[in-house]
Amino acid sequence: MIAYLLNLAQLAAIFGLLSVSLNILIGYGGIFSVAHAVFFGLGAYAGAHVALDLAPDILLAALAAALTAGVLSALLALPALRVRGEYFVIASLGLQMLATTVFTEASDITGGLGGLVGIPPPTVFGVSLADPLAFLLVCLGFLALALAVVRLLMRASFGRALMALRDSESAAEALGKNVPLLKTLAVLLGGAFAGVAGALFAFQEAFVNVESFTLDQSVLIMAMVIIGGAGTLAGPLLGTVLLLALPAALTFIPGLPPTDIGAVQQLIYGLAMTVLMIFRPAGLAGRLAGRR
Amino acid sequence: MLLLQLLVSGIETGALYALTAAGFALIFGATRIFHFAHGATYALAGYAFVLASRLGLAWPLGGLLALAVAVGFGLFLEAAVYRPIQRHHGAFFTVFVAAFGVVIVVQSLIELSFGRAFVAISTPLTRAHEILPGLYIAQVFWVALAIAIVIFALLGSFLARARAGIGLRALSENPDLLRAFGLSARRLSALAFALGSALAVPGAVLGAATTGLSPGVGAHVMLISLAASVVGGIGSLRGAALAGLLLGVVETLVVAFLDTQWSEAAGFVVLFVFILFRPSGLFGAAVAR
Repeated sequence: MIAYLLNLAQLAAIFGLLSVSLNILIGYGGIFSVAHAVFFGLGAYAGAHVALDLAPDILLAALAAALTAGVLSALLALPALRVRGEYFVIASLGLQMLATTVFTEASDITGGLGGLVGIPPPTVFGVSLADPLAFLLVCLGFLALALAVVRLLMRASFGRALMALRDSESAAEALGKNVPLLKTLAVLLGGAFAGVAGALFAFQEAFVNVESFTLDQSVLIMAMVIIGGAGTLAGPLLGTVLLLALPAALTFIPGLPPTDIGAVQQLIYGLAMTVLMIFRPAGLAGRLAGRR
Repeated sequence: MLLLQLLVSGIETGALYALTAAGFALIFGATRIFHFAHGATYALAGYAFVLASRLGLAWPLGGLLALAVAVGFGLFLEAAVYRPIQRHHGAFFTVFVAAFGVVIVVQSLIELSFGRAFVAISTPLTRAHEILPGLYIAQVFWVALAIAIVIFALLGSFLARARAGIGLRALSENPDLLRAFGLSARRLSALAFALGSALAVPGAVLGAATTGLSPGVGAHVMLISLAASVVGGIGSLRGAALAGLLLGVVETLVVAFLDTQWSEAAGFVVLFVFILFRPSGLFGAAVAR
């Protein structure tokens, strides 16, 4: 039971990091990406390769993951600079579908559908993190770091300019804000943190394959941010805990066949998304009801 | 001959994509609502047809049932989801998330009631006949083609001549003026949803008979409709239809050169390139920025 709870807590920390990173795009930047699992995946593959081919050092893996995902996030920044609104959402959908295919087909790098197996337990400066509690603490450390960075940046001029851009791009531009630079930085930051989450995920599962990086995953992350409350610090964390606890809670319902749990879980969070958008579009933790 | 064979099945797929995408474009063109849940309508219509044939109903009855389900679902979404969100001036992303939620709900409901596997209906229409040496064409190809041509002709003349059709085209441009002419914007937007949803039915029914349906089909169709609308130029019915046809052909022809895995991706490469370099699409006048 303790092992199960520790495992759940690790996942919560990793997905918390992931939704905090997406919140930089959706909540603060107004960049509505549904391709976040792509950067999660890039980080996971990069981290897994560092662990398999070099050394299972978690800091090294996280760095490689952040660099890989950060650099390739230019793929998302490009359409973000050219189009907005519906067009950008569609572009990111397209990117997600392409990436899923590439992850499946480039089996030399990603192991294809079989994935990369046998990722060794992580170490930090030569100290083993095989103990689940130690690994959990490291995950929480990364999450705290991301939260601190987001909190700091959003209070600084960068964050204020970014939020101004979210609320009115033309107004921000008229005030002399460098819109392309701000958007690129937001995408890069979000992508890099998603990459770190990916590396942690690779260690946590000791195995990665394309199924963790599909459109469904992107939508799940998006749902975490939206249901919790985009643009708030606590919202994404709240959404993460709720959506991760859901399948665990469903296993306790008597008479529900285990094969149906996945579908019932989807049913509930799909319904939550729709109903929240109708009655409380700012999310559970959001203060501004009906923000434009 | 392989290329010709693939072209034929590409046109068959494309004709059905064209109809579905035109439904999406019609709804967007009239109401400015990005109806992401259009794919869910498609899935529900297809599964309604499957259910009818399992119950032993004749296919025209099954078709009618699918039509009723699609139109009813479209009207329901317009009234219960989109209109309330638009009333409090929700941003487009609010609409997107709500509609995506609907797609997920429909998918999981289908999964719970029909299972995760592919379902298909067997019909003699899909039996292929050799037309030329090495070229096989099933009757369903002609059916798809004929349906697409007839419906597009009817739709075109409705939008050009009928009072309600002209109203639909006017709705997005000037709702106030519309009211001055004694037309109800609310009724017209309901009409757009009814018509647009009905356009998903032929694709869904023939899809059930040819490639089969799976719970995830709604998401796939949604992506195709989106891609077709962007490539064709958002809001342009003609553009969406042409791009739908194009995407179907590209998707199928790719198989001749690459692994089948790439067939869906090929469509999205086209989409991505269009968004980056020509976001207004083939026929669109509107600019994305």
